[in-house]
Amino acid sequence: MRQRFRFCVAMLVLFIPTVQAESASIELLERMSQAAKQLNYEGVFAYRSGKTFQSVRIYHRNNDGTESERLISLNGAAREVIRSNDTVTCINPDGKQINVSQRPLGRGFPSDLPRRLRSATPFYELKMGDEDRIAGKLTQKLEIKPVDNYRYGYRLWMDKETDLLLKSELIDDNNEVLETFEFTDIQTGIDIPNSALKAQMSGNEMIMHRTEPGEMTTQDLAAFSNWQANWLPEGFTLVAHQNRLRANNGAHIEQRVYSDGLSSVSVFIEKMRAQHNHFHGGSHMGAVNAFGSVIHAHFVTVVGEVPAVTVEKIGSAIKYAGPEQR
Amino acid sequence: MAINHLELVSALVDGQLTGSELEQALDLIANDDNAREVFMRYQQASDILHGYTRSINRSPLALTSRISAALQDEPDYSIAAQTKSTAKLLRFPNNFWKQATGLAMAASVGALAVVGVVQQQSGVDNLPMASVVANEAPTAMISQSNRWTVAEPEIEDRLNNYLVDHNEYVGTSGMFSYGRVVSYGTER
Repeated sequence: MRQRFRFCVAMLVLFIPTVQAESASIELLERMSQAAKQLNYEGVFAYRSGKTFQSVRIYHRNNDGTESERLISLNGAAREVIRSNDTVTCINPDGKQINVSQRPLGRGFPSDLPRRLRSATPFYELKMGDEDRIAGKLTQKLEIKPVDNYRYGYRLWMDKETDLLLKSELIDDNNEVLETFEFTDIQTGIDIPNSALKAQMSGNEMIMHRTEPGEMTTQDLAAFSNWQANWLPEGFTLVAHQNRLRANNGAHIEQRVYSDGLSSVSVFIEKMRAQHNHFHGGSHMGAVNAFGSVIHAHFVTVVGEVPAVTVEKIGSAIKYAGPEQR
Repeated sequence: MAINHLELVSALVDGQLTGSELEQALDLIANDDNAREVFMRYQQASDILHGYTRSINRSPLALTSRISAALQDEPDYSIAAQTKSTAKLLRFPNNFWKQATGLAMAASVGALAVVGVVQQQSGVDNLPMASVVANEAPTAMISQSNRWTVAEPEIEDRLNNYLVDHNEYVGTSGMFSYGRVVSYGTER
């Protein structure tokens, strides 16, 4: 009896620090997520992936809960992304295109990461790393390793003073860095004027494309249930769903977002309207992979910052199970 | 350098000098930088022609180093790329032909590297790894471009729209994720 008691005590002594360390890591991630939303900041970060190296200036403002953000590339064509509570605007001066994507009103930035983080713990090992200096600030490093090959790992560096994420690396199963974001300069707690959040490009001679929230009718909801994702990596669950309408061509698109709490994939189901082509198989852009197919006269596309095998397996297992099966 | 000096150096390399001519040639390469450089060049050429490579420790290695450097500048090739699935309809990105040309150059340079190693096989143990890299030549190529590898602009636009919509739900790199969008299609 006494031996069993000693064994239990020993296990507790061994187990409690692990749980505490994991809990501290989760709390740090939650604070990081909140800091990105709640703080005002302006800075320049570098984005590296393969042969791509780009410097990006970012402005972020939270004005009594209303978030606004603007990113502009500093090399080459001045591409811009402007986000507000209800709209994402992408400006591409090269292609003379402006894409405006509207969200359902009042949704704001749809990050529900903090609520989902704790569900990620069975699928990743979290380890607090050393302190390091990034952009002149003292940071805390956090290493996140996946337990299988269906997700990538991360190395994150958070500002010890503000908890803001200052550097992020995406790591594959060979421990190779696929993608790096890293601030080279950042200021927090400052006033961001309206002018800093306005597009540098004028809209003259630009082609405007709009995407709007599509209303979910009873018919839509019925159609939604006809599509089944028959395989997902363990731990991935449906976390968001929305219908979109491309105003310029009338395309209806359904987006489902599946996540394990840290990684996420979106499944886009777009009804074919005419003789349009789609891709069959895999494609990738930097560390983001996509898998496309045509099922029941719909373009079905899986997109996510997960390995190619993951989007392929998810995409291959999506079935149409409704009436009029073809 | 005078022509007779060149002939003198050449004769020295060929071992045809004796007596005062030999002393004159040795003085020349000891005191004249140009003559010494020519002597080294002739000596190396002679060594290669006669199959002696142990003494070659400067230029050929420099050549191998240059080949290694050239290969390192080429895109990465890996067997692992086989697991990267590729769209059946491919639209070659702007830099495709540049990369393809680079691949052909890498193959040519790799062949040169193998020749270089054959010449030096018994002479130098710590060769740069150019030949090894060439031998591990890849069966597939990882595109390092940050453009979607798809066939048509219409599909590329569609994927970019999806990317923007997906970015709204990217968790871990959250605040950075739109960096991918503003960096689309750019290369250093």
